[in-house]
Amino acid sequence: MNPQTRTTLVLTGLSAAFLALAVLFLSNLSGRPVPLPPIPLVDTNFLSTATVRRSYADLERAHEDLSDFDCYACHEKGKPPPLRYDTNQNLIVPKEHSDIVMGHGSHGRNNNCFNCHDETNLELLQTRDGRQVKFSDSPLLCGSCHGPTYRDWEAGAHGRISGYWDHSLGAAERKMCVNCHNPHSPHFPSRQPAPGPHPLRPITASVEPAPYH
Amino acid sequence: MPVPAPSPNPNPVPPDAGMSRRNFLRTSAVVTAGLAALAASLKPLLEMNDFPTMERFLQKYYKEMTPEDMAKVIKRIEAEVEKQYGIRPHVRDLKPMDGVEFVYCLNLTRCIGCRKCVHACVAENNQSRNPEIQYIRVLRLPHGSLDIEKAEHFYAPESVPEKGYFYMPVQCQQCKNPPCVKVCPVHATWQETDGITVIDYDWCIGCRYCEAACPYWARRFNFTKPSIPKERLNPDMAYLGNRPRRQGVMEKCHFCIQRTRVGRYPACLEVCPAGARKFGNILDPNSEVSYILKNKRVFIQLKEEMGTSPRFFYYFDV
Repeated sequence: MNPQTRTTLVLTGLSAAFLALAVLFLSNLSGRPVPLPPIPLVDTNFLSTATVRRSYADLERAHEDLSDFDCYACHEKGKPPPLRYDTNQNLIVPKEHSDIVMGHGSHGRNNNCFNCHDETNLELLQTRDGRQVKFSDSPLLCGSCHGPTYRDWEAGAHGRISGYWDHSLGAAERKMCVNCHNPHSPHFPSRQPAPGPHPLRPITASVEPAPYH
Repeated sequence: MPVPAPSPNPNPVPPDAGMSRRNFLRTSAVVTAGLAALAASLKPLLEMNDFPTMERFLQKYYKEMTPEDMAKVIKRIEAEVEKQYGIRPHVRDLKPMDGVEFVYCLNLTRCIGCRKCVHACVAENNQSRNPEIQYIRVLRLPHGSLDIEKAEHFYAPESVPEKGYFYMPVQCQQCKNPPCVKVCPVHATWQETDGITVIDYDWCIGCRYCEAACPYWARRFNFTKPSIPKERLNPDMAYLGNRPRRQGVMEKCHFCIQRTRVGRYPACLEVCPAGARKFGNILDPNSEVSYILKNKRVFIQLKEEMGTSPRFFYYFDV
């Protein structure tokens, strides 16, 4: 083979190789990015910092409807409403108060409205030792039975706080017992969880970790 | 001696021409093909839209910046964010406060596993929505065990809490002895005096050593350009905190620097419906966290045996 033909061959080969490379790069055969599956934006309800319930103090502060607390619109002053029980000693909730579920305490023994409400003045609450407590000061009543929890709450270790941890820069707003617990059935309500994580590669089967040797 | 006659050359090269027509065509065919291949191979660069500006390229290391340098950098970041999202952000460079060391306490008795903290954190800290980056992972564990290797991450029941399970949110533990800081080859992540381990997103080279070093899986990597819808952008930003990140850098929980360094509670705490999250200054004997560590049953620092000494404590009500 004379040098002329060899040069021609080599150069033709090089051109072909380069063109093939160009086609390869342009068609992007090796590394086409996988399109991301759409992830819906999370519902803004999950971002809400509102508490589970609103307390009497919240309603009062917001100048909202307090007619639920206006007992003497229906009840008669100076005449405590009678309590009725079924044969199992469960309180029969009158139909006017049908929204109330009597679930405070796990044995159904806390079945007397006047354990907490004041029978002489229905617009007040009372502790077991006879102190009267306003609706807006209800933690005092809760604390009269739930001492350790009240102590934790006072120290900030129980319950919701928002605002400022540094009290020299701003106020911390401490939520009250009734902001989270319904006093008639105080167990914290269950709720729908926010959506879980969306990994880049969906996990199909749970991987059992290898046993330790 | 007779000189042998030169053999007749079929393509005599004229001495004045450097190249014959054929040679020229042959060479240019190769060069054209080569250039085409080169151009094709560089095509992905066209899709790159985040070339560093000279300003960003020449930016100094965070700890070496003067206040004037920082002011310039903040102006640049604000302009970049405004260009990209159409919202003028408020970026600050917040320094740690004197006499403050942050500690986080999480009440495992109270946590109901609703994942609100996860999404409040995403909204506050401008994490990418797709692909999804989340700093907090809530683990579901059966009662009576603490094998987090077997925890369920993807639980999706109708309602929580579920019977027989407890929930354990895990995020950056802000270790006193952070392995992630030790492995960073460029010192792009370090521990500040208030205990927060921060990342300078402009200094990070994206080697992901810190991700491998972290025993809590707390660090996240931006594999693609983060996508945040305009209407969900939080314009209250901090340089070491929640300013938008670029592709190819690490990020992680920083105890909401933009909030906590101006005295506010972190976002995950304020959104918790159960009040399971507690945060404060451990150097203040009257803070909530001091009370908890003194009086409650603080049962773990997660993976205590690693010697990382987290500033994140899990406790029980009992």
